Amino acid sequence: MKLTESMIRDMVMTDLNAAEIGDLLTMTGFEIEEILEVEGEPVLDINIMANRGDGASSVGIAREILAKDKTSHPTELYKKLTSNLHTIEESTNTLSQLISIEINTPDCTRYACKCYEGIENGDSPGWLKSRLEKIGQRPISLLVDIANYVMIETGQPLHTFDLDTINDRRIIVRQANPGEKMNTLDGIERTFNSENMLICDANSPVAVAGVMGGETSEATASTKRCLLESAHFDHQSVRKTRKQLGLHTDASYRFERYVDPEGAIRAINRFTELLEQATNCNTIPGILDIYPIKPVRNSVHVRTDRTCQILGMEVTADLIQQYLSDLGSIVVRTGENFDVTPPSWRIDLVKENDYIEEVGRVHGYEKIPELLPIGSTPIGGTHGSEAKIDRIREELLRCGLNQIISHSLRDSHPLDADTKRVRVLQPHSPEMALLRNSMLPGLAEACLKNGGNDIHLFEVGKVFSQGSEVIQLGILSIGNFGTKSWENCTDQVASFYSLKGIVERTFQSVNCDFKITAPQHLDPRFHPSRQASIAGSGIFGQIHPDIAEELNLPEAIVIAEFELSEQVLVASSVGKYKQVHRYPATKRDIAILISKEINYEQIESAICNACGDVLEKHQLFDVYEGKGIDPGYHSIGIALQLRKQGTFTDEEANQVRDCVVSALELLGAKLR
Amino acid sequence: MNEVHSLEAVVKDAIAQANTTSELRAIEHQYLGKSGELTGLMRGIGKLPPEEKPKFGAAVNEAKARLESELLSRFATLKKTEQASQFERERLDITMPSRQTTAGREHVLQQTINKIKRVMGSMGFVYHEGPELEQFRYNFDVLNYPPDHPAMDAQDTFYVSDDLLLRTQCTAFQGRVFEKLKPPMRCFTVGRTYRNEAVDRTHSHTFHQIDVFMVDEGISMAHLKGTLGAFAGQMFGPDAKVRFRPDFFPFVEPGVDYAISTERLFGGKWVELGGAGMIHPNILESFGIDSERYTGFAFGLGVERIPMMAYGIDDLRNFLENDMRFLEQFS
Repeated sequence: MKLTESMIRDMVMTDLNAAEIGDLLTMTGFEIEEILEVEGEPVLDINIMANRGDGASSVGIAREILAKDKTSHPTELYKKLTSNLHTIEESTNTLSQLISIEINTPDCTRYACKCYEGIENGDSPGWLKSRLEKIGQRPISLLVDIANYVMIETGQPLHTFDLDTINDRRIIVRQANPGEKMNTLDGIERTFNSENMLICDANSPVAVAGVMGGETSEATASTKRCLLESAHFDHQSVRKTRKQLGLHTDASYRFERYVDPEGAIRAINRFTELLEQATNCNTIPGILDIYPIKPVRNSVHVRTDRTCQILGMEVTADLIQQYLSDLGSIVVRTGENFDVTPPSWRIDLVKENDYIEEVGRVHGYEKIPELLPIGSTPIGGTHGSEAKIDRIREELLRCGLNQIISHSLRDSHPLDADTKRVRVLQPHSPEMALLRNSMLPGLAEACLKNGGNDIHLFEVGKVFSQGSEVIQLGILSIGNFGTKSWENCTDQVASFYSLKGIVERTFQSVNCDFKITAPQHLDPRFHPSRQASIAGSGIFGQIHPDIAEELNLPEAIVIAEFELSEQVLVASSVGKYKQVHRYPATKRDIAILISKEINYEQIESAICNACGDVLEKHQLFDVYEGKGIDPGYHSIGIALQLRKQGTFTDEEANQVRDCVVSALELLGAKLR
Repeated sequence: MNEVHSLEAVVKDAIAQANTTSELRAIEHQYLGKSGELTGLMRGIGKLPPEEKPKFGAAVNEAKARLESELLSRFATLKKTEQASQFERERLDITMPSRQTTAGREHVLQQTINKIKRVMGSMGFVYHEGPELEQFRYNFDVLNYPPDHPAMDAQDTFYVSDDLLLRTQCTAFQGRVFEKLKPPMRCFTVGRTYRNEAVDRTHSHTFHQIDVFMVDEGISMAHLKGTLGAFAGQMFGPDAKVRFRPDFFPFVEPGVDYAISTERLFGGKWVELGGAGMIHPNILESFGIDSERYTGFAFGLGVERIPMMAYGIDDLRNFLENDMRFLEQFS
């Protein structure tokens, strides 16, 4: 909402300049978006909070300044526009003969109107046009301009009808019939439903209540007789209609934020005053006012000690009383405590805390000191599986993987898991209609985006399927680790086995029990003979060549997908320390020829059983097949590192080696 | 005896003539080693008359000692020269490109989240994880939203069903914690939130938030300000100052938005970070917490805001697009 500096000074006498007024308002909760300089006058653009409709007027803004700045004083105009004394009641006889009002909806709690005759609805006076233009409004005609101007002053939206267009001179406020149509002021035909509130005459709608008038009933240059509407419409009803029609107006802006129903008559009186100043017209005496139920506001008990305790600063009972009274509440004091009844324009004041906030913001939040809480403190930070996931992320970084974070709303993708995906009801676009059920599509996209090779990525995040939301780790790895160097170092290249190493380190890093096995069911996203699983958690291996081709990715990509739930991350029992022998180790290498049918796990377990405790380490250092080796066979080299309590003699070491060889011969191996 | 002297002279000469350390090693081997010529002289000692033996032996040993010291000093000299030229040969161009170790790079948002976790953890706040696909009641009802609040509209929120939605705020974890724990509590969460918004430089339908709350006896806005001050000091530098301004959120009363100012990062300007306030007594009461005895504060902020301000990033879309040219700038 925009106000010129002079609109504010009409209401409040203050030594503050425009910038200082802006700062004051910002600190009191009415944030200044910017202060513009329009034709030599500062114009303040003020952001009105959703629950502070009372601030959407120069009177409301003045009230905040008066409460906060003790050197400022109200003007006569302010006093008049906030006075509870109405002008002397006039007879409404003439008026009620001229027009009738009927309210048929609970969403209209007050409808007041007044009529004027013999109008020449020409241009507005220069001062009025200039003020409206400065705040970005286009002057239209005297009646419309004054109505708008009074709304800016008082916060009460007004509407001017051409009385002669109102059929039977009957005003009926009611909910729309579904499918009912009307052209609004902007010339657009609108179709309504039963949630929309309309102002109608005897035959048809003449305005959308609280939002915009109708095209045929508006006051125009030829209007001679005017009906002025000053009503109160329910804020939620107006908001719904405004949203549904996509019609933002100055009136709907205020009604949505709540308009003071008590201000309806003051606004009419102000309109009459300005109209009579500007033109000679015949004001028909009296105001028709249908106001069946005056809202009743309950008082709330407010305590000084509680106020100070919540705010964390000292405020005296005298000051509390003064602040709340200045803002319009009725304050009854008993000792240090109060019973406070809010003003009619504040529906946001309901509980003690609401008043404590009022005291705080007027007294000044800048006076609150900074204290650290005392008292018992839990062990802060992450615990349980969250802490383990933090640990896993670190381990993956050490393995040389780069972390990515990608969108969870996405399209379907060849790498989606085989679970039912969760769909968003009203997505922005089909590309973001589904929640991811796997990390792999995001990883594949990131891989492509960054050149599709020599890239190693992981992501940890939530994946969703019908009825489940779990944290998943996804890995994608392809090509060289590290950048190619002019130093000609041998590069590490990603493979099934490098990924297997990363998977092992992932689960080892949180001391988790796991076993890598052949998957029970083949996962169609993976190369059928190059996939392995960890039961209950997930799967890893080479991407299926067909999917790689479809996605335009290299075939050699290896990928992994693991659930990191509490059940998966169960820690194994802590192993006992193994003594570190102080005797030297002995090494023996073994090279054998063996059928490829025998898997390495069998060889490994034969070696371990044959050596027993003295086997400190074993390492597969060579695998060869091809020239000189029978098909179906390969030659493998294994290094054994032996150590025991006492020095190994050559003979003892050879004995161990011979045992290993015999054990391997039982598997069909031949010594090379 | 003469042969000792003449051999010493020969060796001494050879040492002096040697130009390389390897020549010196050869000389050492030829004359002074186990089977060297000088040592060989000792073997002739048997043929000498007994009274000459000690004298001869002493002469050989003395000559050997003199030569060894001569050799050592010559060796040191030569080694110095040789090394000097070796080092010259081995000189590296230190401006050649480095070889990068293969440790991976953490996403800039994760770096921020980790720092948040460290800072809040060190103040005794316990991390809690909440679901992203959240029940309507935890996201809105439980947080004191009046029925029909604008934020609930489908235009603003991604619904999956009538009562299931993608959480619009991490504050949704509060109700879940209140169901499990009793005061005193210090809790926080960091996670992903969603709003039904079009994506541009400053808007995204997906972003991350931190949400913090504490409930105990006597908690006031001064504790909120102090905790925020300590948090901001750790995140933005020790001179970070905190400012409160009134604002409205259904779940806090009084509600504020808070701004941070530091000389170094913002040149003393106030930069709004997020919303905060005293937990609404309605919420505490709805979970059976005595709001007279216990009060609490809560604050939240967008995670993306922190690196955006620290590094001057002006396009929110960067964070979830995983372009390595962007991500590798932060380590």
